[in-house]
Amino acid sequence: MKLQLFKSDMNSNGYTLQKMAIRLGAFAAFLGIMVFFAVTARGFTTSYNILNIIEQSTILGFLAFGITVVFIGTGTDVQKGGIDLSIAANAGLCAAVYAVLLERGYGDSLAIPAAIATGLCVGFLNGFAVVTLRIMPLLSTLAVMNIAAGLELAVTQNTVIGAASPLLDTLAFGKFLGISALAWCLIIGAALMVAIVHYSPVGLRLYSVGGNVEAAKSVGIYAGRYVYGSYLFSGFAAGAASILIVARLSASTPGTGLLLLPVLAAALLGAVFSRRFVPTIGGTLLAVLFIGALSNGFQLLGISSYWVSGVQGALILVVVAVTSFAKKS
Amino acid sequence: MTVNNKTLTPKMSLESMSHKAVYVAFIGVFILFSMTAEGFLNFDNFSNLIANKVVLLAIVALGMTIVIAAGGIDLSVGVSIDLASMAFIMMIGAGHNGVFAVIVAILVAACVGLTNSLLINKLKIDPFLATLGVLFIGKSVQQLATSGGVPIYLTKSEFAAPFEAITRTSLFGIPTPFLVLVACVIAVYLALHRGKFGRYVSALGAQPGVAKYSGIRVPFQLTLVFVSCSVLCGISGVLLSSTVRSYVPLAGDAFLLDAIGATFIGTAISKERKPSVFGTILGVLFLAMLRNGLLLLGLNFFWQQVGIGLLVFIVLGLSFGLRKRAE
Repeated sequence: MKLQLFKSDMNSNGYTLQKMAIRLGAFAAFLGIMVFFAVTARGFTTSYNILNIIEQSTILGFLAFGITVVFIGTGTDVQKGGIDLSIAANAGLCAAVYAVLLERGYGDSLAIPAAIATGLCVGFLNGFAVVTLRIMPLLSTLAVMNIAAGLELAVTQNTVIGAASPLLDTLAFGKFLGISALAWCLIIGAALMVAIVHYSPVGLRLYSVGGNVEAAKSVGIYAGRYVYGSYLFSGFAAGAASILIVARLSASTPGTGLLLLPVLAAALLGAVFSRRFVPTIGGTLLAVLFIGALSNGFQLLGISSYWVSGVQGALILVVVAVTSFAKKS
Repeated sequence: MTVNNKTLTPKMSLESMSHKAVYVAFIGVFILFSMTAEGFLNFDNFSNLIANKVVLLAIVALGMTIVIAAGGIDLSVGVSIDLASMAFIMMIGAGHNGVFAVIVAILVAACVGLTNSLLINKLKIDPFLATLGVLFIGKSVQQLATSGGVPIYLTKSEFAAPFEAITRTSLFGIPTPFLVLVACVIAVYLALHRGKFGRYVSALGAQPGVAKYSGIRVPFQLTLVFVSCSVLCGISGVLLSSTVRSYVPLAGDAFLLDAIGATFIGTAISKERKPSVFGTILGVLFLAMLRNGLLLLGLNFFWQQVGIGLLVFIVLGLSFGLRKRAE
């Protein structure tokens, strides 16, 4: 962080001011829409509803954090840089493993490590393909996505598998200080992520690997390990999210893979909420809440759900376009 | 060079092996299925496979090849396919002439590409995000037009004429959809590998900045790239809806990942890892063959998906891994 501040001071005087204006642009768009919903949608600003939005965003948030770390460690150029298309399918597979183990009578003490280990295995496969075999990430994670989605179907036989355990009950219905357990998960998860990614040497090195591999290597960073690590983390995030998915639905259901596009949208949109247009945890968190608030606001306004995806798409385009213009000027 | 030739030879052969890995895998899998999967090595099976699986995907993948060669990506191919299919079926359903309906359908698809290129050129949005936004919007458009995704079926005999003209006719015994594919392959091959357009596209894909400063009208070329991709998708959409005589909303989304996969599998045969028409067609055939062979082996749908993922992974691992060791 210090390094970034120093760098911005080095530039011309107008630099910081201009960047501030751009940053505010994205925030202003976010705020404007929130104010619009607050005025028009009845009940939007109640604390119950706001907690509801946070709760609904938790799963998307965990997955988006995973992909954000991949973006940080490998650069955001989607075709040439890194991406993890398998993350949503991976979460589906982990949820299936978790639910099946619980259904067979194994407790949480076995099922949770198994779900996380499944996620890590898929993450390792991605890292192996991208770092060791040097297959293009877009392609290798696509193949891994097929493997994970197929395994999920094979494990569940494409059915809904109900699951119940004391932990799941706590996650689904528990409350602490008036805030539900799922919302706490997002808050604590985000805080931990910010601490690791933005306030630790590991995070700084991860950024340097993603920013310029050659430069990172030349100062003695094992770039490959960090890329491996980011894919492993993405797999871990999928495993963690899978437990929340099962908690929220009290079951593992087919179709978790469909979360891929919203997750990608959130992680890519997150970059406009950062000063230098790089993926950050805070930016991704805001983007996730933004997407969550949009669907929630539409529901409260009683607008047909057919409009939701279109308006989300249009708003993503508007926000990104405004920022890219601001960036240029 | 002549001095070093001797020491280079084993490395060179390893590298050349890496390009051939896809061919070797293709032939290997073919032989494997011929021996193990009953009914695989059979003319009816192949013609059925090509007519039902290869043609539609290949046309879409050709469009994707152009976009990826230009350094972009088009996530909205499904929207182009679906909107063309919707326009076509609605026009036929309203009693319009078949030729007119085809033209309207392709124009509708071209509008999707035009929207993509406007977003990329004028609003300076990254292709991935721009086409992702269009994908979201396209989903809403279809849901709104079909009250949430109700398919339109035109199975009555009064509508049959245009569909039969497209799917049931043939020239010299070759069915029309296949001829359409051949025409598309030739057109994209000429444009991408034999014309000025192809050189501009490669320049854009390799070094967009250099392309701009060497006088290439980047926005215009990008518009051509995205519009030609969506037009190809539109053609595929018309073929799709005339085969099934219906429009099923969001059916085109299924093509997206296969088209990207086929194009990138195709890059494994070229030295520079560049997309090519031949590579893409090979990729499409490889994917179709895997799916068909695994099905005939009696694997259920779930394990087929795992099998395809694993086989693609292994082939790519061989191709890219050998190349890495050669370096």
